[in-house]
Amino acid sequence: MTIISVRREVGEFKKRYKWMTLFVILAFGGIFARLVHLQVIQHDHWAKEARRNITKRVRLPATRGVIRDRHGRVIADNRASYNVLMTPQLLDVDDVQKVGALMQLSPEQLEDLRVRLSSVSERRRSHLIQMFSDITRDQYAALETHNRELPGLTTVGVPMRRYPFDGLAAHTIGYLNEVNAEDLKRFPEAGYRAGHHIGRMGIERAWESYLRGRDGELKVVVDVRGREFEGARLHKKSERREPIPGRDLTLTLDMGLMRAVQRAFRGHPSGAAVVVDVHTGYLLALFSKPSYDLNEMSGRLTVARAQEIQKNPFRPLIDKTIYESYFPGSTFKPISALTALQDAVYDGTERCDCPGYYELGGRKFRCGHSHGDTDLRKAIVQSCNVYFYRLGQAVGLDRLGHYARMFGFGEPSGLGLNTEAKGFFPTKAWYRERYGARYRLGFTINAAIGQGDTRVTLVQLAMAYAAIANGGTLYVPQVVRSVDDPDGTSVAEFGPRVRRQVDVDPDHLKKVTDGMHGVVNDMKGTAFGARVVGGVPMAGKTGTAQVAKRKLQPGEDPRRAWYYRRSHAWFAGFAPARDPKLAVVVLVEHGGDGGKNAAPIATQVLQHALGKEEAATHTASQRRGFGQGRGRRGRRARRRR
Amino acid sequence: MALSRGFRDNFDWALFVVTAAIAVTGIVNLYSATSAAGPHLKDIYIQQIYWLTLGAGVAVLVVAVDYRHYERQGWIAYGAGIVLLVLVFLLGREVRGSQRWVPLGGFSLQPSELMKIFLIIALAKHLHNDPRTEGRTLKDLIIPGAILAVPLMLILAQPDLGTAMLLVFIFATIMFLTQLKLRSLLTLVGSLIASAPLTWTYLLKDYQRDRLSAFMEPEKDLLDTGWHAHQAKVAIGSGGLSGKGFMLGTQNQHRFLPDQQTDFPFAVWAEEHGFWGALIILALYLMLVLWGLKIASEAKDRFGAVVAVGVSALIFWQTVINLGMVCGLLPVVGITLPLISYGGSSVLTVMTGIGLLMNVSMRRFHF
Repeated sequence: MTIISVRREVGEFKKRYKWMTLFVILAFGGIFARLVHLQVIQHDHWAKEARRNITKRVRLPATRGVIRDRHGRVIADNRASYNVLMTPQLLDVDDVQKVGALMQLSPEQLEDLRVRLSSVSERRRSHLIQMFSDITRDQYAALETHNRELPGLTTVGVPMRRYPFDGLAAHTIGYLNEVNAEDLKRFPEAGYRAGHHIGRMGIERAWESYLRGRDGELKVVVDVRGREFEGARLHKKSERREPIPGRDLTLTLDMGLMRAVQRAFRGHPSGAAVVVDVHTGYLLALFSKPSYDLNEMSGRLTVARAQEIQKNPFRPLIDKTIYESYFPGSTFKPISALTALQDAVYDGTERCDCPGYYELGGRKFRCGHSHGDTDLRKAIVQSCNVYFYRLGQAVGLDRLGHYARMFGFGEPSGLGLNTEAKGFFPTKAWYRERYGARYRLGFTINAAIGQGDTRVTLVQLAMAYAAIANGGTLYVPQVVRSVDDPDGTSVAEFGPRVRRQVDVDPDHLKKVTDGMHGVVNDMKGTAFGARVVGGVPMAGKTGTAQVAKRKLQPGEDPRRAWYYRRSHAWFAGFAPARDPKLAVVVLVEHGGDGGKNAAPIATQVLQHALGKEEAATHTASQRRGFGQGRGRRGRRARRRR
Repeated sequence: MALSRGFRDNFDWALFVVTAAIAVTGIVNLYSATSAAGPHLKDIYIQQIYWLTLGAGVAVLVVAVDYRHYERQGWIAYGAGIVLLVLVFLLGREVRGSQRWVPLGGFSLQPSELMKIFLIIALAKHLHNDPRTEGRTLKDLIIPGAILAVPLMLILAQPDLGTAMLLVFIFATIMFLTQLKLRSLLTLVGSLIASAPLTWTYLLKDYQRDRLSAFMEPEKDLLDTGWHAHQAKVAIGSGGLSGKGFMLGTQNQHRFLPDQQTDFPFAVWAEEHGFWGALIILALYLMLVLWGLKIASEAKDRFGAVVAVGVSALIFWQTVINLGMVCGLLPVVGITLPLISYGGSSVLTVMTGIGLLMNVSMRRFHF
């Protein structure tokens, strides 16, 4: 009886087992289906994901090409610098404290680090984020010794640009900066990433694609913390693509000469100079003062320092050799003279009487001095304005303009660096458009002495003087001599590039250069005081260019107002006088008299360049000798123009 | 006496073989799962062997005594379980924000695990003594409900949502055996659905809510809450058909799988042995659960049937929930995979359950 009753009791459950069995099979079926989905259908996707999990790509930075001067002196190369990267997720409060102690951070810096770490978004907390760049050697050493204890911190070595000449030729060489969002947009194909550096100015910018090279890449197998995986038997060796180093550049610049220019400019706060090889157009010196330290610009330039540079009244950021254009003043007179001779308006024998001014249309146009009876040679040697007023009037504005353009004025020289000013030489049409019926002959005669609306850059003037010196070949100025592979073999050499052969008669050139020789070597020459006895004979032309009237800029000291109203001092010339090799242009901003302030610089530079060391020292003593008679000479110089 | 006579004839070889296969697979998998981890986990598979051996001993003891004795001592077992759960709050130490362990000599015991078995026995005893021929109403659920409620509250207070949920599932499965009237069932389901928002707001802890949200939008935050679930999917999916090979799973070896020895051992297995390997595990558990149901259906009395269903439910729910969460079908809750996950209390509980199953199976011919 008991048996039967027990059996019956179980009967209540009987119907349920098959439902349970069905449910169990369905549930396992669901998991089975999911496995098919994940492991068969989506396998490729997840396999890729798993591979991505364990591969880390490490950038192997390419070393940027080295820049050297014509004698192989290093102008820009690379040094090792170290950046600190942190994974915020893996750093606790103690770790941060420890980092602070190891790096010897000030309390403010430590607080700043804390703030930056805590402001990292959740998504990026497991990423490596750069926290410090270019740390000191001591900091690097301290962090490296303790790196086992700080799994959330890594130091990486990155090459950093180094400029051994600091600020010398800074505008020409240029500097680097980290790429910004704009660059990334502008060169989407070039492979720039955040943290890369890009050339910002000068050669660093213009030759970026050669200097840069191509980054390599290392694929490392890592574990979940991003550390290199040690049980590498699971995988083939890490893949490595070597970086391709950038090309080296050899420049035409001579940094020794640059130093000499810098020395010669001592005592003048602002100015510029260009030295060019008259037979090739290669630039030996491109000097713009004041300058800025390229190491500072490429590294950690603080906002305060950047503002200081920006606000400097002598405008260090401006490249005065090509970006800025000036009234050429009397340095333009040789071009005017050549125009008159070429167009047979003058034959060189014409004379005029200079009473110290020239009256035209009821207005007096001044000369520096009453030169009396003057011929072309004397007009150049003593810089007589009256003679050139008449000459300009005889030739006409548009003939002057034609030759100005033939000698390269009014259009970029083609140097291909930075932003180059075009300069300007006016035409009658331009004046008519500008002033309507009020065109006056005064414009023409002012243009003949390099004032009015004529504007030139130093490089333009240097190239024009080189053309005068070499018989009329106008070259394209060049600053890069060759592109080399890192092993030293030359990839590309840049020969001289002729821009134009100016059609000038050698006899006419001779007449003008003869006058220019007199400027330095005749007793009454405007640059006679700057000549070198026993040195390389020079020829040239001084200039004292009036500056446009201007109001004081904000931040300028009113006590310095006299300075800003002072004329610019010019000297343009070449040497040796009979067999020219180099042309030089010197501009001292607000330097006053060209013969007194610009010409001595040019002399010093040329004597240095042409290898007459002893002559250079001799010059120095000569100049001291002149110093005793300063008052007399000063007066005389002021009278000259 | 009964044991010695019928042991060889009545021994349930199928149950034994399937259980042993799962246990061995678990050890092998554990060896690989912990091989890449730090030294503190290095010899965990050895410990698991100890636990399994101990579990086998317990199972033998459980089998040795006719299960009808357990029916008689049912309330004592249940009471002992409750006492242990209370002890958790008095002696327990906090691990990851919850108190689940009672220190026991050199070991720690997780009473909530053992409570699963005691609950099954208590419910079986109640139903054994309460046979019906007509459908039951909600009123008949009051006593079983109370039997569930006491340990449930204690476990929720630890808090251990996973185990609590499991108790509810086991309870529901056992009650499914009885014939509840359709109207009562609808009322019950209706009120459960209605109380869901209240549960969300008042019962769940913040981290539990996070896990549920992470499950609903798995791509939202891969690096934080969704990390476990995502990396497990990567492991399984990248395993493909035939797997990456023993000890060669990159997800595990490179430590992308968290809790690989407790919550995610299946991901390790599926990554290294692929679809076919995963299928073997799936088949073993399916056989075990269905075999348990078969034992229940052949049990000679109500107590044995309920115990067998309860143990089968325990194994079934743990398996399905664990595999479901590892595959990304269910939210991540801390429920282990029976015999494959590392854990002494879990192993002991499951082995006790297997012992009960064996007991019921072997005594189905005895009167």
